Amino acid sequence: MKKRIALLMAAAMAAASLAGCGGGTSTTADTTAGSAAEDTTAASSGNAGGDTKLTMSWWGNQVRNEKTQAALDLYAEQNPGITIEGQFSEWSDYWNKLATSAAGQAIPDLVQMDYSFIDQYVKNGLLVDLKPYIEDGTLDVSNISENTIASGTVNDGVYAICAGINAPSLLYNKTLLEENGIQIKDYMTTDEFMDVCRQVYEKTGYKTNIAYYNAGAYLDYFMRGYDVVLYGDKKMGGTVNDYLPFFQMYETGIKEGWFIDPGVFAELSIGSVEQEPLVYGSGPETMSWCAFYNSNQLTAIQKAAPEGMEIGITTWPSADPKKSGYLKSSMFFSVGAHTKNPEEAVKVLNFLTNSSEANNILLGERGVPASSVISEELAPKMSDVDQEVIRYINEVVTPNCSPINPPQPDGASEVSNLLNQVQEQLCYGAYDAATAAEEFFNGANNIMNKK
Amino acid sequence: MKTKRKIGKIFYHVIVCGLGLVMIYPLVWMVMSSFKETNTIFLTAGQLIPEKFVLSNYINGWKGFAKITFATFFKNSLFIAVVATMGTVFSSALVAYGLARCRFFGRRALFVAMLLSMMLPAQVLMIPQYLWYQKLGWVGSYRPLILPYCFAIQGFFVYMMINFIDGIPRELDEAAKIDGCSYYGIFSRIIMPLISPALITASIFSFMWRWDDFLSALLYINESAKYPVSLALKLFCDPGSSSDYGAMFAMATLSILPAVIIFICLQKYLVEGISTSGLKG
Amino acid sequence: MKDNKGAGLKHFLNKESTAGVVFSLPFIIGFLLFMVVPMGISFYYSLCDYNILSPPVFAGLKNYIKMFTDDKVFSQTIGVTFYFALVSVPLRLIFALMVAMLLLNTTKATGFYRAAYYLPSIIGGSVAVAILWKRMFATDGVVNHLLGIMGIQTSFAWLGNKNTAIWTLIILAVWQFGSSMLIFLSSLKQIPVTLYEAARVDGANKFSQFFKITLPLLTPTIFFNLVMQMINGFLAFTQCFIITQGKPLNSTLFYTVYMYQQSFEFYNTGYGAALAWVMLGIIGLITAILFATKKFWVYTEGV
Repeated sequence: MKKRIALLMAAAMAAASLAGCGGGTSTTADTTAGSAAEDTTAASSGNAGGDTKLTMSWWGNQVRNEKTQAALDLYAEQNPGITIEGQFSEWSDYWNKLATSAAGQAIPDLVQMDYSFIDQYVKNGLLVDLKPYIEDGTLDVSNISENTIASGTVNDGVYAICAGINAPSLLYNKTLLEENGIQIKDYMTTDEFMDVCRQVYEKTGYKTNIAYYNAGAYLDYFMRGYDVVLYGDKKMGGTVNDYLPFFQMYETGIKEGWFIDPGVFAELSIGSVEQEPLVYGSGPETMSWCAFYNSNQLTAIQKAAPEGMEIGITTWPSADPKKSGYLKSSMFFSVGAHTKNPEEAVKVLNFLTNSSEANNILLGERGVPASSVISEELAPKMSDVDQEVIRYINEVVTPNCSPINPPQPDGASEVSNLLNQVQEQLCYGAYDAATAAEEFFNGANNIMNKK
Repeated sequence: MKTKRKIGKIFYHVIVCGLGLVMIYPLVWMVMSSFKETNTIFLTAGQLIPEKFVLSNYINGWKGFAKITFATFFKNSLFIAVVATMGTVFSSALVAYGLARCRFFGRRALFVAMLLSMMLPAQVLMIPQYLWYQKLGWVGSYRPLILPYCFAIQGFFVYMMINFIDGIPRELDEAAKIDGCSYYGIFSRIIMPLISPALITASIFSFMWRWDDFLSALLYINESAKYPVSLALKLFCDPGSSSDYGAMFAMATLSILPAVIIFICLQKYLVEGISTSGLKG
Repeated sequence: MKDNKGAGLKHFLNKESTAGVVFSLPFIIGFLLFMVVPMGISFYYSLCDYNILSPPVFAGLKNYIKMFTDDKVFSQTIGVTFYFALVSVPLRLIFALMVAMLLLNTTKATGFYRAAYYLPSIIGGSVAVAILWKRMFATDGVVNHLLGIMGIQTSFAWLGNKNTAIWTLIILAVWQFGSSMLIFLSSLKQIPVTLYEAARVDGANKFSQFFKITLPLLTPTIFFNLVMQMINGFLAFTQCFIITQGKPLNSTLFYTVYMYQQSFEFYNTGYGAALAWVMLGIIGLITAILFATKKFWVYTEGV
């Protein structure tokens, strides 16, 4: 009997609490309005009381969440009547959620964007063109370099504003190399790089990881050294033979023994900074002296490194690194096409880009600030590692860089996956370099021309 | 004879304990890791005992994100898991009884529909479900995380209870029917008490699954202050930037506590419920 | 008059066929409201070119044709998934039943033991498990260390070898046997004690008690667990997704993970939906076969 009462109560409670979260199952539009406080899109339309609610979503870690929300709160404080709600997730969750809300026509007002997704989002009309707002002065870009603006430009429209300047960078174990008298210079060619790999292997036993299973960006950079643009219109750039040197580099590494055994990577989470073979491993056999990253990740890698290991930064190798080099945005801010208040959203964007108060909170956590005025102002406040990044970008990369390739088209993520698979076959010895180049080139063309 | 039994008993405990240690080793590892300094977790993953016990992971983890502490996340998770579990268990019991004891038109079809609905991978329904709930105006609220479960949507529980009800002698029903008891009376007076072990088992599973579920929370909850624990835990690790594994382990350790406590409390009834149910035949 | 009507209604409600429908009502509503529409939409997607970001475009059977003619990975993942399901499910059930038998005894420590054996299932697919599992099977991990103690010195890369990597996932699946164990436990308790008493009087030993009483009476539960775990086994996702991501050389790429990649990483969402519906067909067929064998080995007579 007691049990029965308990169950009945349970049922009653369930019913009561459900009523509490917003009423019945009616499918009419007024339910949406009723739950306006909870619903992104509906909320921003609730302008009657003069209150505007914006949402902004981004991916990142605890530090970024903290800082960004603090900056947004500051904006809300300075602009009564406006509240901004931050939505944060981890990288892959972020893209799942954003894509799903795109399918539902409910993208947040402000979104953090990545270069590899920008093309698809623009082509499907999911981002707002910011050009009119730049022209009418709502968005001030006078302190942002042309190259940086260009990186957020697709088909003559500006769809994204750089949230931090970044450059491809080879991070290396400076302590190890210095102890063994091995010199690293900026702008190494592929051959010079492979010489270093051999030397390091002979003298220390440390091996090399060349962006294993994550080489999409590096291949793009590598091909620029041969004047080949990786992605053409529904096809791959260049010819099969252009891709051969890339795979030969791996083949040589495996043959000569200085490339990390591919089995090692099965024990790691590829892409996780803490498990990068540069900083993590049981011994030289499973560790690498370098890692292919971007400049804004130096801080994270240095933090993950064991005590006493200093991390150096230089350019990625290619046949002609000066031709290959480019500046990019670590990430962008964009305005979602489904926003009801584009004007207000752009104002927030302007605040994040140009306000020194906001950037004193953000402190360049997303990369070197796009506005030169802001970045100069912040520089002295930054940590030694961050200053090293600024030095690298300003003194090493900027003097010799050329504009970045157009954003990746639809199909690029599938091509990157194919590259991983081919690389794996190559490193496990199932393919030789020629087969790998052929498999990759044909497979990738096959993917691209179906898009 | 007595010593033989004693030896047997010791033998039993040694085996069960030994195997048990293997079973919980990973858990111990996680708890231990949560007391390590966060930047040493990977470098010392091979050793179980931390060199230095620190509590900083718990302090830092509990702080949460952007002024929302884990107290909020725990509260949210508890609400979702408890309400959804009660809804699931009760509605599943109703449906299970109907399918197990009543013959009616469409029974087989319902059973097949129930099985079929379990055979589609959850991931493929993500977008269609999102679009549908959006039409219903449910996005941004807890409704998509709770309401469907109040309609016996998880065939697993229904089928489990059917299986259990099948194990109860039909003579009991017949006897009650002769005494003038309706189907509804039989359900509430006879079946419900007798399947209490199944109800408890289902509650344990359901609570755990709702607690761990992060996919629907990811899609349907927009406001950070409404995140459940499962989603908040993922925020500690962002590949590409620094992750705080220490804080993640610390909060992960706390997050399994409710399930463990519930299990330890309920498993007693799991046994009792049956031995007192008078199923002597 | 009114009374009469009330009685009529009462009588109507208490008819077996009505009561059945009334009791099933939650599921009928839930299924129509929450399952039918999403399932329908997803089936429609499977007939479309769809990339989430732009509206679906009808493409007929294209996705299904591509699967069987122009996708090498498809057959690879089918192989991996069958191997995983057919090996891990029986192992898991046998293990679960053995442990349930062991934990049937009620001593003071039983509650604690049960919790210990159930814990692995509680931590489920968390990041902690992913990290730990990789550490255990690493070249310098616990497993090789234990082998070393037993005299087999090795630095074998369990996760890096395409023949052994899948076994690390199978072991993980077997290790998390808790849910089946609990169901066995509660069913074991449902077996009338009198049956055992009678058998003991007849002089049956523990072994024959197990095979003559326990096992036959447990067959409905075994069947239930088998069906559920088979479905789960074919739909397994987490183990692969958090630990191997299909590496090395696609030797551990589960079907559902491949489907997920197609849907959410390559944005071939229509193709992903088609993959899901083919899987539904496969699982449906296997379940139907299991149900067809039911009458040969599952004890159905009421106790």
